[in-house]
Amino acid sequence: MSQSNESWNSRLGVILAVAGSAVGLGNFLRFPGQAAQFGGGAFMLAYCVAFLIIGLPICWAEWTIGRHGGKKGFHSSPGILNSIVGHSYGKYIGILGIVIPTCIYVYYVNVEAWTLGYAVNFFMQNMEFATAEDSTGFWAGFAGLGEDGAALNFSLGSALPYLLIVFAINFYLIYHGVSKGIETFCKVAIPILLVIAVIILVRVLTLGVPDPEHPERNIANGLGYMWNPDKILLAEKQDGVWEPIAEMEELVGPEMISAAEEQVAADPENLKIIERSIWSQMTNPDLWLAAAGQIFFSISIGFGIIINYASYLRENDDVVLSGFAATSANEFCEVGLGGLITLPAAVAFLGVAGAAGGTFGLGFQVLPLVFSQMTLGWLFGGLFFFLLFLAAVTSSISMVQPVIAFIEEALDLNRKQSIGILGVITALCAMVVLYFSNGIKAIDTLDYWSGTFLIFVLAMAEIIIFSWVFGAERGVKEANRGAIVKIPHFFVYIMKYVCPLFLLTIFTLWCAKNIFGATWVGGTGEKVSYVIDLFYVPNQAAWISVTMIMLIGLFTFFLLKGSPKYKDHLKQNQNS
Amino acid sequence: MTLGGWITMILSVGTVTLMFAWSLYKVLTTPKE
Repeated sequence: MSQSNESWNSRLGVILAVAGSAVGLGNFLRFPGQAAQFGGGAFMLAYCVAFLIIGLPICWAEWTIGRHGGKKGFHSSPGILNSIVGHSYGKYIGILGIVIPTCIYVYYVNVEAWTLGYAVNFFMQNMEFATAEDSTGFWAGFAGLGEDGAALNFSLGSALPYLLIVFAINFYLIYHGVSKGIETFCKVAIPILLVIAVIILVRVLTLGVPDPEHPERNIANGLGYMWNPDKILLAEKQDGVWEPIAEMEELVGPEMISAAEEQVAADPENLKIIERSIWSQMTNPDLWLAAAGQIFFSISIGFGIIINYASYLRENDDVVLSGFAATSANEFCEVGLGGLITLPAAVAFLGVAGAAGGTFGLGFQVLPLVFSQMTLGWLFGGLFFFLLFLAAVTSSISMVQPVIAFIEEALDLNRKQSIGILGVITALCAMVVLYFSNGIKAIDTLDYWSGTFLIFVLAMAEIIIFSWVFGAERGVKEANRGAIVKIPHFFVYIMKYVCPLFLLTIFTLWCAKNIFGATWVGGTGEKVSYVIDLFYVPNQAAWISVTMIMLIGLFTFFLLKGSPKYKDHLKQNQNS
Repeated sequence: MTLGGWITMILSVGTVTLMFAWSLYKVLTTPKE
């Protein structure tokens, strides 16, 4: 029978591997956008609360559950949860820990290919954009945004060749195992990533005023856009109510404010400058949803990854400090580096109006334009996208490992055979995602249902299992075994009551808003596009993506059902 | 950037940097069992 004898080589190695899994595009692209949208200070307060009552407790719970399951010979979330719960429903909950990383992997690997492609094109000095239309056009051509199938060609300005390269790199690393592949790579990649980030940070903070014709576009205003706690906006009267003209176009710096004052002086009846204080922003449920969501994506909780990585620890290896260290490394990259690099640079070159954009918009439209206008932009742009590429590789290999462990366990196969099976499945799915590139509908749909909705569900199940099935007191005691620093006792209450309740509230609000279209001011708003794509105006790419999630779920279910390993384990438990 | 912005930035970046530095120090200085 195939038995995994994998283990980590060093404490630092496992910490860097978990940190590598957490550090990704979200740190440098998603976090700054979210923080700026909800007012830096208000967002950071909610973010800190979410970190303390969701992030850390679930992270420690996953490390503890993982090490406990590993001790019993399991490395996949169905096996680990089965052994913790002591009932077959545990393994069925664990299906999510296989579906989530697989589905995220198949679209994430496409985005990873974009980062590599952008890095190569920057280093080859192919990325010289004069206008936003130029950079948008390049992205549209590269990722095939205009038409399904448009990205399926082998030019250097297209995603396909890079997708094949990143696939090969990921599976090469995975093939070499937990210690020789993942750990060795993360030990090299994370320090390189940090050094590159610091170089780019120094460059960004010394930008000053890049264009003297636009004195309002400077690095101080860029930092202000990101971090100012109170938002100042230009509003116009609509049906007797003052509404901001553009929510994201915050007035930062004396130049913008005096320009807005002139506009108001010219039309005082219809224009007004309004200020949103930090406290008024804190009453917005959307801010709490955004902060909690960011913590989830950022720390990689609810992905099924940490419990898999922790299962390779030895019985008395520390999990408390290791979990905290990996989380801190991620937070440093996100807040300390991501928060100071991307948006400030974008505002310094393009102004507040030019810097606004979603995660992908900021990364693949706005920033390439910023770098192409910078002195030595080809170098800094290349380095930045290479940094994103390293971050993406350390994350994507962490998504593959839990699934490999599951296939090895359920089918009693060796690593090589498991990699073969998973390689074929993920390659087919990733090609489907690449094909349905029109408007990145497939990526968007998979990200929404597997990378957001299912993550909430798995994280909630994990903390309930840890606190109420395994027992919070027992769980913290188990976590503290071999710990260099102990979990403070009050976390027992946070894990048992506060975290599940907070999570349930956030999840309910999230579903109300994002699935049923509820708004907080009253009544129900419009349905969100993800629901419309499935049930109101069916979209082929959206349906294929959701079908993919369901097929991977069914495949996992039947593998579990047919595998004797989990049944035998439960029988042994009952007999002992 | 306003005074509030500076305070938010310094507190946020300072906290995560201290957390990271402290945990790294503890990991590297604790002898392996």
